[in-house]
Amino acid sequence: MPSRRTFLFESGSGLGGIALASMLASNGELTAQEGANSSDTISRNRDAGLHHPAKAKRVVQFFMSGAASHIDLFDYKEQLVKRDGAPSDFGEPVEAFQNGLGPWMKPIWDFKPYGDCGKLLSETVAPLGSVADDIAFVHNMVSKSGVHSTATLLQSTGFLLPGFPGAGCWVSYGLGSINENLPSFVVLPDHRGFGSNGVKNWDSAFLPAQHAGTIIYPGRPDPIADLFPHRAGSYVTASGEQQSQALMSRLNREHASTRAGDARLEGRIRSYELAAKMQLAAPEALDFASESEHAMRLYGLERGAQDWGKEINSDEETFHFGQKCLAARRLLERGVRFVQIWSGNDNGFPRRNWDSHEDVRRDHGPLAMGMARGCAAFIQDLKQRGMLEDTLILWTTEFGRMPSSQGGKGRDHNPFVFTNWLCGGGIKGGVTHGESDAWGYKPLDRDNPTQVYDIHATILHQLGIDHTKLTYRNNGIDRRLTDVHGRVLHELIA
Amino acid sequence: MLNKSRYLNSRPRINSRTHVANSCAWMLSEATKLLLLSLLIWPVFEFQAICFADDSAGEEAFFQERIRPIFETKCYACHGPKIQKSGYRLDVREIAMAGGDQGEPPIVPGKSAASQLLKFVSDANSDLVMPPKDSNLPRLTAEEISSLQRWMDAGALWPDSANKKLDDPLKWWSFQPLPKLEPAIERSQAIDHFVNIQLAGKGLTKSQPVDSRTLARRLYFDLIGLPPKPEELDDFERESSVDAEGALNQLVEQLLASPRYGERWARHWLDVVHYGDTHGYDKDKQRPNAWPYRDYVIRAFNEDKPYAQFVEEQIAGDVVRPGTSDGIEALGFIAAGPWDFIGHAEVPETKTDGKIARHLDRDDMVSNTIGTFCSATVHCAQCHQHKFDPISQEDYYSLHAVFSALDRTDRKYYRDETVQRRILELERLKSETSHSLRQIEEPLIPLAGEEYTSLTKRIEKASAPSEEKSNPGPEFGYHSAIASTQDQEKWVQVDLGERTEIQRVTLLPCYDDFNAIGAGFGFPIRFKIEASDDPEFKTGVKLFWRKHDVTFMADFKNNGLQPFTTNSAKDDGIAGRYVRVTASKLATRKEDYILALSELQVFDSADKNIALGRSVTALDSIEAAPRWQKTNLTDGIAPTATSKEDKAQLVQERENLLEKSMDEASKAKRRLLMSELAGLSAELKQMPAPNVVYAGGIHQGSGAFGGTGAVGGKPRPIFLLARGQVTQPGREVTPGALSFLAFQRSRFELQPEAGEGQRRVLLAKWITDPANPLTWRSIVNRVWQYHFGRGFVDSPNDLGHNGGLPSHPELLDWLATDFRDRGGSIKDLHRLIVKSATYRQSSESNTTGETLDSNNTLLWRQNRRRLEAEAIRDSVLAVSGKLDISMGGPGWQDFVIEHPEHSPHYEYGLADPDDPKTWRRSVYRFIVRSQTQPWMTSLDCADPSMRVDKRNESLSAIQALALLNNGFMLSQSKHFAARVEKEYTDIPSQVERACRLALGVGPSESDREQMIQFARTNGMSYLCRVLLNLNAFTFVD
Repeated sequence: MPSRRTFLFESGSGLGGIALASMLASNGELTAQEGANSSDTISRNRDAGLHHPAKAKRVVQFFMSGAASHIDLFDYKEQLVKRDGAPSDFGEPVEAFQNGLGPWMKPIWDFKPYGDCGKLLSETVAPLGSVADDIAFVHNMVSKSGVHSTATLLQSTGFLLPGFPGAGCWVSYGLGSINENLPSFVVLPDHRGFGSNGVKNWDSAFLPAQHAGTIIYPGRPDPIADLFPHRAGSYVTASGEQQSQALMSRLNREHASTRAGDARLEGRIRSYELAAKMQLAAPEALDFASESEHAMRLYGLERGAQDWGKEINSDEETFHFGQKCLAARRLLERGVRFVQIWSGNDNGFPRRNWDSHEDVRRDHGPLAMGMARGCAAFIQDLKQRGMLEDTLILWTTEFGRMPSSQGGKGRDHNPFVFTNWLCGGGIKGGVTHGESDAWGYKPLDRDNPTQVYDIHATILHQLGIDHTKLTYRNNGIDRRLTDVHGRVLHELIA
Repeated sequence: MLNKSRYLNSRPRINSRTHVANSCAWMLSEATKLLLLSLLIWPVFEFQAICFADDSAGEEAFFQERIRPIFETKCYACHGPKIQKSGYRLDVREIAMAGGDQGEPPIVPGKSAASQLLKFVSDANSDLVMPPKDSNLPRLTAEEISSLQRWMDAGALWPDSANKKLDDPLKWWSFQPLPKLEPAIERSQAIDHFVNIQLAGKGLTKSQPVDSRTLARRLYFDLIGLPPKPEELDDFERESSVDAEGALNQLVEQLLASPRYGERWARHWLDVVHYGDTHGYDKDKQRPNAWPYRDYVIRAFNEDKPYAQFVEEQIAGDVVRPGTSDGIEALGFIAAGPWDFIGHAEVPETKTDGKIARHLDRDDMVSNTIGTFCSATVHCAQCHQHKFDPISQEDYYSLHAVFSALDRTDRKYYRDETVQRRILELERLKSETSHSLRQIEEPLIPLAGEEYTSLTKRIEKASAPSEEKSNPGPEFGYHSAIASTQDQEKWVQVDLGERTEIQRVTLLPCYDDFNAIGAGFGFPIRFKIEASDDPEFKTGVKLFWRKHDVTFMADFKNNGLQPFTTNSAKDDGIAGRYVRVTASKLATRKEDYILALSELQVFDSADKNIALGRSVTALDSIEAAPRWQKTNLTDGIAPTATSKEDKAQLVQERENLLEKSMDEASKAKRRLLMSELAGLSAELKQMPAPNVVYAGGIHQGSGAFGGTGAVGGKPRPIFLLARGQVTQPGREVTPGALSFLAFQRSRFELQPEAGEGQRRVLLAKWITDPANPLTWRSIVNRVWQYHFGRGFVDSPNDLGHNGGLPSHPELLDWLATDFRDRGGSIKDLHRLIVKSATYRQSSESNTTGETLDSNNTLLWRQNRRRLEAEAIRDSVLAVSGKLDISMGGPGWQDFVIEHPEHSPHYEYGLADPDDPKTWRRSVYRFIVRSQTQPWMTSLDCADPSMRVDKRNESLSAIQALALLNNGFMLSQSKHFAARVEKEYTDIPSQVERACRLALGVGPSESDREQMIQFARTNGMSYLCRVLLNLNAFTFVD
């Protein structure tokens, strides 16, 4: 069933894309009906068809899986230093996930001021000091859940339930691809495995499948699933591939020639051509050989992979996180729209994520140092290349951790307040928006917290999209990334 | 910036319903009050001018000239005909008066002081001022404000002439009763009759009938989801040329009778009900007992179970079909969707997060039930009234009340109904025999007197699980220093002398009468056990993780003297020289806290306690010898339970006592009964283990996830939640269904003694009521969609206002009525559809059609269909000759599970893509929610976390790569090649055969040469891979 979209697509070149974007613009909305035929892998002209001029073209989301402690990394609380060890008193009954509410516990690391803005940062994220003036911190984030899975879904998809598209899917759906030879939404998972909910955090759900996050593992021989023939296909050869493409193309075009008016047939032929191009483009994008020594050092990759030992350590974290950051920069340079970078996998033992119930120093120490080095290098690198101004970076996690101790050295979940930070893409640098209270327990202004909807609305805004107008109908509801909420955080926009 | 929704939310939330009632009651009719009570935001038609009828023309003019212009210029931008923020609008009188989604009444006639609207527009200093500060709209002038005030105080007259009437949402097509069938229409002609009328209306005509080979291929894929064998195509072509109708009838019957039919159509159903074999969410644990429901659905389609029965069994099979396995397995429907393990198992119902988890869980049951069977989007009424359909929030929570006793849980039953019946019979006989026995014994018991009572007590005591006793010697155990806070961390460890592989660790609790604590004295509430070669436990620390969740992540229940064992296993590879117990939450002593243990035992692979006599260190210790000292921890001395009296002997004594006062006849009768009873018990014991299905049921749990088992399955009370927030419960609601459909009472009348199952029965009967306008339209629309690629309504889960109008309203109604009246046979519906000329037309396009109806909504041709993920996979196996058609049972797995102990990782990449176990049909695949099968997902396979009424159809490079390079495709291409190479010796015949198998036709002359050349150069496997990637393989004309 060809539709207007597919006919436009069939017209092939970028012209179709511009036409489509303009037509969407004349409707004023980037919307679609459920079940609309969806072979619209179209390069859309930037700004044409957007709701307003875009400041950012691309997004990078850093996701700390397991709930990173705002108190020990970014949100300095003098009161906790003063009252360290004193019985905690929240002034109200507190429902903690594991009822782990010991005495107040001061930040595990010392804080120092950085940059012209003088932002206080923990020594375990000290490398971020070099870019403190580029970052906008949001210390009054609140979640709706203190359970990892639902809270992670909330931050990744805007909903507590599985079955909703990730933020990257919406961006891909709204803006399309800049370079068809690469996926528009890429996910770089933790090398140890997925975080809570696995692929549910980046699935396309009701959006067409091409908007799902494509998993890439930089540094592996098979960075994308099925990019190259599985070893079962030992009969596949380079020359055979060329002949096979030619034969398929011939047979498919013959088949299509007697079936006029079905754009899907041509669309599918084209998808095979793109696949062949991706086989060249993806390895090139992930090959660090052309990177300068300076860049490799910047990202902490100069020594290459090592035997890192069995215990969690900051060298290993730096290597893996840096590898993902560098891969992200290369993918963004080549037109990927949205990259999601994960730190930490699920809640197994021993801890290899941020869920430090037992010992914040043990887990947060190496994870934070690796993350901070990678993020700082990434921001500096984008800046040097002039890409920071149109690349929006979001650092997030599912919730924060309690200002009181759990079992002496750990901290329980704190869904009542946590920290996000944004950078680049038209976001003000060196500012703090929203504060937590004296303990880092709840927002200072409890009536006006910041929620993931506001963050998502702001990101879409910077991309030229009105978050209330990017919709898709599913099971009777015009769904949005921001559900029925969301406020653009104009205070953060430069 | 003023956030409007936040602004409204922060208004004082006194019970808005009561408030409306109080302030308006004096002037409203009963009917109107009722409607306001349920906070309807759609217009209230009966409202009319009851309250304002006697006002003068002057007041009317005042409204028209002074008031309405204010609304139009200052308010309509956000609360007018186009936009209704917070559901509020000032162009419709009833909504303007009653308010939007929540809050107090904005306009109270006669009382401007009580009217919120006036407050909002007049308080310039408030953040909540209207129009909002950040809008471009000017504030109201003083004159405008005083006009509003005057108007309100004078009774807020709003003339009809200035009131916008909204369409009555109840008049929506799908809410109307199904019409009577027109007898004039011949049943077999009905589809074409209605389609032709609509085509003619647009100046269109049907396309030519398709040729017989194409028709057969279409029928095979539609009905059984597999390609026809070339011989079957040849046969059908030949038979059709002789007798087209006869051949068609025969083929349709053959396909509908094939077990493959149920497999094909069950998969559609499983999409809709979002069936999966894991829970989803965090930790995504497996559901090893989900599959009996999947098999039930396959069986139901194959048996052509009447639709009403199919519906009723899935909601209340345990009650409507007691004693049958179908009745239990069908309940898998209720549990089909995802389940939040952590939100239930680790968070109790008393906590907010626990409440949210359970609320969302029931939301899934409710949405799944009403969405699947009625195609209504009831979930939209969770936080407020449905914005488009007349579904109230109360309806939504009434549906919650239907399921509120249930959880997703394993249900036991017997699949073998003879066994099930025998067990029921045995249980009945046992109860009867026991009754007869009691009749003999009861008069004798008083005669047996005190002694009998005492013996009974001793028997009970001997049956009790554990007895406590003081210590065998003065050496109690290890006792930490006393702490003033409970969360102080304490540890104690044993040095095994050398690194050892550890099988398991056992902790024996202490006994001390101090503070009347006794057994379990000092046993920690939260603790972990670790091994390491480092006495400081800084490096190489191995956690005994198997019970870590229950001992460290949650409070561990004190079990008295019962030993605690880690249940470790050899393959965990836990080894070390030191074993340490660390308590993170200490035991209460008096008003202080300690850690005390009697014995720490470490067992090696030979099951020998290698900790015995080894040296012990600890963070601290009170060292009060001999009772409390570190060395006591490995001295082999621990308190034990009292040795029990010999129960059998006591029973015998009581037996003798009872018989003393019995005459011989009674004795003989009693002995006979007892031997009968023993026989019955023995037979019951020998019955096979029950089958288990994961289904909706009463959960008998413990800890955080207790379920309602402990209260005998009593339904949880359900409250109307303001804005869907569990922290804002309103009044309690009773079980019911959608109240706007008036064919039956929508609030269920339950007898006080009715079990929870009765609620589900009433809902099931409400759904299958012949007068329910949604049920029959819903299923007919779904079936139509799977035959044409598009339903009459293109959103099969939504027949409401957002779902749009049907393309063929009369035909849909005709089919729905016919289906209902003829007993709900889905197979019969298939027959009607596939034999119609509409179905049998060509899918070729033509210019007239493209011009007049480019989307083919009116069906001037058939739609070319792209195969779904399962059909592609099954077809690949069918043509390669490897398809294994064995049916049913646990799902096959094409992944390797890593880290099963905590959060299973489903690693598809590690599985053998050529594992014969995976050659069964795709409907039997083990469906993981958190890590969906990547290859299937790239082909738009249904996401088991979502209720999928229609598959997406996407095309992407990733999908092409998956079909080209995945191990499954490359292996099957080899098998495909091996098959044709076995069947034919020469390459041209092999090529011909391969094309006929995969595409249904041989190649054209010119293609044949190309293919032969390709096969000669690159091998037959390579050519087979090409064939399986062609459009002609994936699309069905």
